[in-house]
Amino acid sequence: MISTLRDSLRQDAGIAEFASESIVIIDLEGSIRYWNPAAERLFGWPGLAVGGAPVADISAAPEDEVRAWSQLLQEGVWEGQIRRLTRDGEVRVVEARRRLRHDEAGIPCDVVEYAHLAQGANGEEIPDRSAPDVAMAASWEIDLTSAAEILDRIRSQSRTSGGDDRGDLCRRLLEAARIVDVNERTARLVGGNRGRELMKGQSVASFWPVASRAILAELIVQAFLDSEGKRFHRWLASDGILREPLVTIWRAGADRPGHLFITVNGTADDDRSYLFLRASEARYRKLVHYMPVALWQVDASHMGKIYADLRSRGVTDFGKYLDDHPELVGLAASSVPVTDVNRSAIELMGGKDAQDLIGPAGYLFTESPECLRRVMIGRFSGDRNYSELMKLRTLDGRVLDVRFSVTYPEPLVELDTTIFSLEDMTERLQMETQLRQIQADFSHAARIATLGELTSSIAHEVNQPLAAIMTNAETSLRWLARAEPDIGKVRQLTARIAASARRADNIVQRIRSMAIKQSPDPVTLELNEVVRESLLFVQNEIEQRGIRVTTTYSRDLPTVVGDRIQLQQVIVNLIINAVHAVEGLDETEREILVVTGVEGGSATFTLKDNGPGIAPEHLGRIFDGFFTTKPQGMGIGLAICQSIVTAHGGAVSASNRTGGGAQFRVTLPRARSLT
Amino acid sequence: MPTIAIVDDDEAVREALGDLLMVSGLACQCFESAPAFLTALRSRRFDCLVTDIRMPEMTGIELIEKLHEEHAQLPVVVLSSVLDDATRTKALALGASAWLGKPVTDEHLLDAIATAMENSDPGTAR
Repeated sequence: MISTLRDSLRQDAGIAEFASESIVIIDLEGSIRYWNPAAERLFGWPGLAVGGAPVADISAAPEDEVRAWSQLLQEGVWEGQIRRLTRDGEVRVVEARRRLRHDEAGIPCDVVEYAHLAQGANGEEIPDRSAPDVAMAASWEIDLTSAAEILDRIRSQSRTSGGDDRGDLCRRLLEAARIVDVNERTARLVGGNRGRELMKGQSVASFWPVASRAILAELIVQAFLDSEGKRFHRWLASDGILREPLVTIWRAGADRPGHLFITVNGTADDDRSYLFLRASEARYRKLVHYMPVALWQVDASHMGKIYADLRSRGVTDFGKYLDDHPELVGLAASSVPVTDVNRSAIELMGGKDAQDLIGPAGYLFTESPECLRRVMIGRFSGDRNYSELMKLRTLDGRVLDVRFSVTYPEPLVELDTTIFSLEDMTERLQMETQLRQIQADFSHAARIATLGELTSSIAHEVNQPLAAIMTNAETSLRWLARAEPDIGKVRQLTARIAASARRADNIVQRIRSMAIKQSPDPVTLELNEVVRESLLFVQNEIEQRGIRVTTTYSRDLPTVVGDRIQLQQVIVNLIINAVHAVEGLDETEREILVVTGVEGGSATFTLKDNGPGIAPEHLGRIFDGFFTTKPQGMGIGLAICQSIVTAHGGAVSASNRTGGGAQFRVTLPRARSLT
Repeated sequence: MPTIAIVDDDEAVREALGDLLMVSGLACQCFESAPAFLTALRSRRFDCLVTDIRMPEMTGIELIEKLHEEHAQLPVVVLSSVLDDATRTKALALGASAWLGKPVTDEHLLDAIATAMENSDPGTAR
């Protein structure tokens, strides 16, 4: 650390040796570390004589020096006149600029002072004079023209006895008061990352410290109602930045009607602690600024007061209150200002700089106004945070899917800062959509494969009614061809033809629904029904092999949400597997049990067979893609089953039954109420 | 009047075939399964059997095998939607006189039945 400092001093020295301006480096203890030749000329002290000495020792005004030093540590820069003793014992007044330097870790390390002789209008050296306003911390010029109506109401109140909503009027007064200009120190003290230019035109309420807003409002009223342009003073409580700050306020001259000037004087509270606070704050700001999450800082204090007021008036169901007062959502959109944003936020919104994003926060919610409503309800309910997926329209017109999260201020501290974070989910959602598509394609391919396995069953199933139709039709023709046609018989046969045609149609419909490619269509389903439909597909396979199927349907099944065809596919696949499993048994022993049930609120489908079971070494891999023990199998059936069930939020498991045979269980979550 | 036995597990098909044979001047009796037919065969004779292949309990092939062992004289016409060549070959090897695919035209079926009956020895048919 020390060697680094020395190195940097040496580097500084190399450049500063030839500077015409006096350059002095002072360490944080106040001792002179470097003194360039120009400083030697200006003050007469050789570098060797003052090196290591406290700079206060050569000050002609040590008290001013202390104040200047405090300000420097607070704000990082200081500019003004200093009075320094020369070696001849004279007082030399110089214009100086001092800058606090930080090391790479953001920790303050030293101060560089640049100085030159202060010159009067005619070039003469300015004689020694004190600087009475050296402790002035902040100065503001504010414009009250848009607050005229509020001021009128306050004035009429003060003539009578005053009213209950005085506090509210004061708050509105500060909202309406606009900043015309502030000095650089003000911007540094209360402007956050925004700087002076961004403060101009903003509401005073967005910047003035919360603790003293009421006092400021009262002072504004006093100054505004005073016709003589008197100055009004008030001491404020120490606020951690300034010790016992004094606020002074007065009306501007006739050339600026409706304008007031405000100054705040005070000395730094505790420079040491403030110094390190500043350093950690600087690190924190840097961290926040470069964080890869888009962050918005908003000042929702105004709404906070409204909420507190509503609560005190007994409002508990805020959702209902908003239904009755939808204008409150609009008010929040227009009155909660964004006070700061980080770099990621600017990038996300496609803005040029922070200024594009400063202003009423409503622009975040143009595509998702309901989100703002829910954010408000969350704050009202005292939640710590709230998050949802929403659409965001960027400044350059793109609409993004973002995850919006808000961290509300601590109810007890009421720091007035609410942080919004937005994460661009567009790509992730697109990827999920693609994944779903791939899964759907795969499921479809697997369904086609399953139908392929069932081809002979299908042909048989369709040909049965077709055979009946053809024979009945030809028989009818024969009856009609007789010398005395038997119309009654023909009528009976025609009815049979129609019935068989309907049956064929049902079969074709069922198979077509399995064969066509369509996007999953989640609907509320009765699992029992899906199982019954699935059994129809494999009925032939089962009957041909003389397999005994026992079904037990639970009557208390919760409904599930899912794609009917995909779930049928899962069940058909599992049953076909079971059919293959029992094939090797003697026909009289082949048995499959189909059971539906409820487990922990979920609907379950369990399939048991009395085949050879699953080899223990295969149990762990049975749902892996391309794992198969069948010579003709592709090994995608169970993998697809699992991917379908997982996509439905459920689970599928395989195990061996204690008495022999395999058991497959599908669990599907209960359908959540859609209301 | 010759009597034809029909074995098919599908009721609609059974009824249709029965009506066709009746209107064509043939007597017939329908059975919903092979065992039911075999039971009836113990007590009476048929001139021809028309059977399906894919049936639960006992398939058409198993039935033909059994007939081949015990009633080789009974002419058999297979009427099935099974497309499998091996099954077809096996049925014909076991003495089935015709293999017709479903659906079938009336003429084809009646011709096949007539041919089957002509080719069998009426003296030995029971």
